[in-house]
Amino acid sequence: MRLAKERKGQFIIIAAMLLSIMIISVSTVIYGTVTYYRQERWEEYITIVDSIKTASCNLLQIGLANYTQTLNPNVTRDYFNRWIRDARSAYPGYGVDVNYALASGLRSAYGIAPPINYSLGLARRWNVPTSYSVSNATVSINIASVGLTGYNFSSNVFLKMSIRDVVWYTGSGNWYVIMYLSVDKEELEPIISLQASNFASVKLSGVPQSFSMKRYYSSTYQRFIYEIRVNSVTVLPSSANITLVDNRGIKTISYTTNVQQV
Amino acid sequence: MEDLIAKRTRARNRRSVKGQMRVVESILAILIVISAVTFFYFFASAPSSQARDVGELEKIGHNILHDIDEQGLLARYVYRSEWGNLTSALSVSLPINVYFSLSIYDVNNNPINHPLIQYGDQQVFSSSAAVASVTYIVPGYQMNYNPRILVLKLVNG
Repeated sequence: MRLAKERKGQFIIIAAMLLSIMIISVSTVIYGTVTYYRQERWEEYITIVDSIKTASCNLLQIGLANYTQTLNPNVTRDYFNRWIRDARSAYPGYGVDVNYALASGLRSAYGIAPPINYSLGLARRWNVPTSYSVSNATVSINIASVGLTGYNFSSNVFLKMSIRDVVWYTGSGNWYVIMYLSVDKEELEPIISLQASNFASVKLSGVPQSFSMKRYYSSTYQRFIYEIRVNSVTVLPSSANITLVDNRGIKTISYTTNVQQV
Repeated sequence: MEDLIAKRTRARNRRSVKGQMRVVESILAILIVISAVTFFYFFASAPSSQARDVGELEKIGHNILHDIDEQGLLARYVYRSEWGNLTSALSVSLPINVYFSLSIYDVNNNPINHPLIQYGDQQVFSSSAAVASVTYIVPGYQMNYNPRILVLKLVNG
C-alpha cells in the first residue's frame, strides 16, 4: 500500500520528464529542419542557377548570331558542348551539370506560317517579305552539392523583319523610294533602337544603294516603323532587298518584288 | 487515549513529510521543464546579422550584374574593354555605402589584364569581416564564344 502511494507521488516527476523529452524531441526536429534551410547558402545557389540560366540564354543568342553570319549549322551544338564543360569549371565544388536539348522539326511560334523548321536548334527564313532568324533550346541545370536536379527552362532568340510597303514616289520631279519596315524580337516585342548602321545593305533591283533612315511610331501601320529612303531612283525598281544585323549581331534578310508607284 | 493522540501525531508527521516531498518533486519537475525549454531556445537562436548582410549584398550584386547584362551592356563593356563605363555602371547601380571590387578571369581562372575596377579603399576589403562575393559568367559577345568569369566583391562601408 505504501509502495503504491510512493509510486503515485513520483507521478509529477515522471510527467515532467516525459514533457521534457517531448520538448527536446520537438526542438531537435525543428532545429534540424529550420537550421538546415537557414544555414544552407540558398542565396548563393539561386544566384548560381540564375547566372547559368542567363548565360545559357546569351549562349543561344551568340550561337544564332554566329549561324546567321557564317551559316554554320552546328555552331549552337558546339557552343553548348563547350559551355557544359566551362560551367562546371567556373563553379568548382558545386557539382554543376548543364544539359541541353536543341529544338528540332516543325514548331509553331510567333504566329509564323508555315511553322518554323528547326535543325540543331536553329532556323531561318530569308529573302521573303517577312524574314526571320530564330533559335530555341531547352536547358536543364543540376547542382549536385545541394541536391538540385532537373531545373528546366526553355529559351529562344528571335529576330523578324517585315517589309510593310515599298513605294516609288515620282511627284514634283523628285524621284525616290521609301521602304517601310517593322522589326520584332522575342514575344513579338518591337525593336526600336536600331540605327542606320544596323541595316547592312539596301538593294533596289539587286543594286546596293546609299540611304537615309527615320524611325517613328506610325498611326497608319499601328506600330513602330523604320523608314528607309533612297533618293534619285529614276526607274521603277523590280525588287527591294534589305539586310539587317541587330545590336545582338543577329542577321536577317527581307526581299520583295512588290513595289508600288505613287 | 494516549495511543490515539500518538497515532494522530504520527499520521500528521507522515502527511507533513509527504507534503514536503510534493514540494521537492514540484521543484524538480519545474527544473526539468525549464532545462528543456532553455535547451529549445538555445537551438532556436537567430543567425548573426553579419551572415544576413553578406546574403543581402550577394543578392544586390547579382541583381545589378544581371540588370546590366539584360540591357546588353555587360558583354560590351567586358569584351570592348570599356572599363570606365563598367565602373560607372556599377557605381551608379549600387547603394552609396556599398564598396565594390571587380575582377575578371578567363574560363581557366587566369586573370584578365584590366585597370582597377573598384569603388572604395582596398583596405576596406581586407579589414572587413563580411565581404560578399558574386560570381557571374558572360559566355561571349556578338558571335564569339569566349567566356569571362566576373567576380564582384562587395562590402558595406
